[in-house]
Amino acid sequence: MPEIKLRARRGAARDALAANVSEVAPMERTMVAPAAREGAAGDLETVFDLRDVTVSYGGRPAVKGVGMSIARNRITAIIGPSGCGKSTLLRCLNRMNDLVPDARVEGEVLFHGEDLYAPDVDQVDVRRRIGMVFQKPNPFPKSIRENIAFGLKVNRQKVTDERIEQVLRRAALWDEVKDRLGQDAFSLSGGQQQRLCIARAIAIEPEVILMDEPCSALDPIATLAIEDLMRELAEQYTIVIVTHNMQQAARISDRTAFFTVAGTEEGQRFGVLVEYDETIKVFQAPADPRTQDYVTGRFG
Amino acid sequence: MATGVARPPEAALRPRPLARRRRRPADIAFHAGVLSAVVVALGVLAWLAISILVAGLPALDLHFLTQKTSASPAHAGFNSALRGSFVLMLITMAVAIPVGFAAAVYLEKLAGHEATRLPVLRRRLAALTAAGGEGRSAGRALAAAWIRARLAWGRVSPGVARVIEVNISNLAAVPSIIYGLLGLAVVVTFAGIQKSLLAGGLTLAILVLPIIIIASREALRAVPVSIEQGAMALGATRLQAVVRQVVPAAFPGMLTGTILALSRAIGESAPLIVVGGIVFGTAVPSINPLQAGETPLFAMPLQIFFWAQDPRAEFHELAAAGIIVLLGMLVVMNALAIWLRNRFTRRW
Repeated sequence: MPEIKLRARRGAARDALAANVSEVAPMERTMVAPAAREGAAGDLETVFDLRDVTVSYGGRPAVKGVGMSIARNRITAIIGPSGCGKSTLLRCLNRMNDLVPDARVEGEVLFHGEDLYAPDVDQVDVRRRIGMVFQKPNPFPKSIRENIAFGLKVNRQKVTDERIEQVLRRAALWDEVKDRLGQDAFSLSGGQQQRLCIARAIAIEPEVILMDEPCSALDPIATLAIEDLMRELAEQYTIVIVTHNMQQAARISDRTAFFTVAGTEEGQRFGVLVEYDETIKVFQAPADPRTQDYVTGRFG
Repeated sequence: MATGVARPPEAALRPRPLARRRRRPADIAFHAGVLSAVVVALGVLAWLAISILVAGLPALDLHFLTQKTSASPAHAGFNSALRGSFVLMLITMAVAIPVGFAAAVYLEKLAGHEATRLPVLRRRLAALTAAGGEGRSAGRALAAAWIRARLAWGRVSPGVARVIEVNISNLAAVPSIIYGLLGLAVVVTFAGIQKSLLAGGLTLAILVLPIIIIASREALRAVPVSIEQGAMALGATRLQAVVRQVVPAAFPGMLTGTILALSRAIGESAPLIVVGGIVFGTAVPSINPLQAGETPLFAMPLQIFFWAQDPRAEFHELAAAGIIVLLGMLVVMNALAIWLRNRFTRRW
């Protein structure tokens, strides 16, 4: 059995966030919580239901034949080597792929049982309800306040000081920025910028937050801060996170989907879903040898 | 010491000393070559500037700036030309900035994205035609025709945008006299505007449009796509993302390009001559741009051209003074552009 480190997190980031982080020990949260929830897993509400989904760019499939369902208020991690189509799959959950010319989604993506790609579905409403945090922090080149306010404004919601404070508090950023809300968002550190992007995403009250390798541009301390935040947010939101960091998936997620690169004889390469299960099972008792090789570091 | 191991001779152990610095002939020739190029280029400019300052400074006084032009060198001033150039710039800005910015936004941010709408449109069309089996209504047929038209446009628009793009770059390189002829044909003959400041301003607007479009597209392209996607991921429409995030982020760059384009326009004389620039008039031109249609076309470069041609030496002094004013303005505008660029440029 592969040795997996589901370890407790300590350090500066945690101390800084202590006021905002619940007092449950992280060890318990990562290891006990998913196991305790397991009994209820069967009757969890399904948010996304993917049926034989294939995404292709210009006729070349990037990820093929994916079938999985994503449960509400859970953190679902998507892991796998580069080029296995994890980001591509994530981006088709809020129709971000529509912005790419020649991108094509086949199969069914059901959101609460409704076809996300039905011809009369408004993409803007899709993205409003399914928020996204990108790989590289991408705050708007404006003040911290305006970064939060933008989403509210385009969704015709009132922008009040209380709302801004509430959102920043929930993103565990308030104490660090409360005295400089008017300052340029670019004056923040990378980790703060990413938390601002998360704050910006939750300001419009989405149901789902998609995260595309949100910590890959951050240092370990900022990464821990974001991970703590994600556990907090999972109580209220459904989170789907793409990560190339296996420890991260093991630490924070309830369920893990492992993708890998497959190919045909003609040299076409595309991603396929290998295994999708409770995180503990994927890491400690994977059913597929390819998963085993990947999570033990023998491949990838 | 007596280890028994055979030691190599002392000389072989000692490292080779570092080579001494030496002057390589190729280096010297290269340095001399580039340095003399700089001296020649800057020397000519410096000589030009000094000779003009020497000739023009004595004539450059309050009288020169406030008096209208005159046939007598003692009374002649630069004021009519200053007023004319001021109105020309106002008209050029009023026309070229909105048109140029809008064209740049369309070409850079919207034209290429028509293609991304195709799958959505196709699905919509399929849904329409599938549902059309039961009840065929005129409205549905109209909707289908509309979607088909958009599909067709979506397929050709990237090609169209490319053709436009290449041609705009070509337009920026067209000699300004050609723009004068274009202005004469379009503004004066076709639109029926009499030869006036208005005709001159519109002609200059056509002249600087390609430059403004190219510079603005450059500035828009410098804004990372992630800003636009971040906005759209928050439920903004493409239009909102572009208008509220991308354009404000690109605005300093767009403004810089515009100022540089205007500083080119302020020094142009050839196109103005073609659309009726006058070099002598006793009437003081109005600085109200709304009256530009009836105001004769005065401009600084034209006045300088006229004075410099005059055989009388006093007029050459006036021409030099005029050049000082014009150059001063160019320096101020370019400095403003550089300041804007340095002040607001971001590293993404």
